[in-house]
Amino acid sequence: MTFEDYNLTRRAARGDIEAFSRLVREHSGLVYRVAARILGDSDAQDASQEVWIRVWRNIKKFRGESAFSTWLYKITVNTCLSSYRREQSRQAREIGDDLSYLPVPPSIEDDPETAALAGERREQLLRALGRVRAEHRAALVLRHMEGLSYAELAQILEVPDGTAKGWVYRGRAALLVALSEDSLEGGSA
Amino acid sequence: MIGGQDHWEILERIGAYAASELSPEEMREVEQLILDDPEALRLAESYLRMLAMLGAIGEETPEVPEAVIDHAIRRAVVSAFFRQAEDFFAGVGRAYLGAFVYYLGLRAAGSAG
Repeated sequence: MTFEDYNLTRRAARGDIEAFSRLVREHSGLVYRVAARILGDSDAQDASQEVWIRVWRNIKKFRGESAFSTWLYKITVNTCLSSYRREQSRQAREIGDDLSYLPVPPSIEDDPETAALAGERREQLLRALGRVRAEHRAALVLRHMEGLSYAELAQILEVPDGTAKGWVYRGRAALLVALSEDSLEGGSA
Repeated sequence: MIGGQDHWEILERIGAYAASELSPEEMREVEQLILDDPEALRLAESYLRMLAMLGAIGEETPEVPEAVIDHAIRRAVVSAFFRQAEDFFAGVGRAYLGAFVYYLGLRAAGSAG
């Protein structure tokens, strides 16, 4: 952890708004990015706001034993998983069915043809990712999109190293299966 | 041909191979499988494409809506205000209580005298 981050967290823990604002501005990218990948763009904003409320409430508990980013990843993933479970149970109550989440990808502004093809593949991947079990999806996002090690995953997901590894292994296989099913459904296999 | 009860295990193993997460010995085993079985080769290629796409999405940096930052800071300001107000009123309350106890002490001393 950088000295600056440590200093900012200590000041924020004492109620210093300016220090907290700097933490929010510097790390909001990480929170929003992970939330968008686990929950999809449409729910990322609400989840990100909830993450920062939790950070403010709990910043006194952060002792600097791990990097601030690790602590932030942990809060972000927990918030996203809770939000996902809440949404699943709400949908189950309302519709009585297990609807899979379909994330909405942002627009791509490059060459239209390439962008359309890339956008289509991207959409397909994110749609398939939405069909992977939430814990496995979080592990995949941290491992293959955030580039974290298994030791970091274990710390963030609060599970033993072997479990974190198992979630990534299973998540990858489930994503591949979901992708091929998606291709078959779309008739592009 | 990949099939049977350990299909899922082989699928996971090929995924780990594509992600370069296996030991040299395990890598050799999977390479042999890929050489022997066209389906295993197809799976390894699919995994590589999938991991490349995941990595490419991971490289993207979505823009954070300003509303997220504003909301977080606003909530902290309000919370800090109430925290300070609470501390202030608790302090005033403690001071009054102290004064009251002191007063009671004086009265007790006066009536005893």
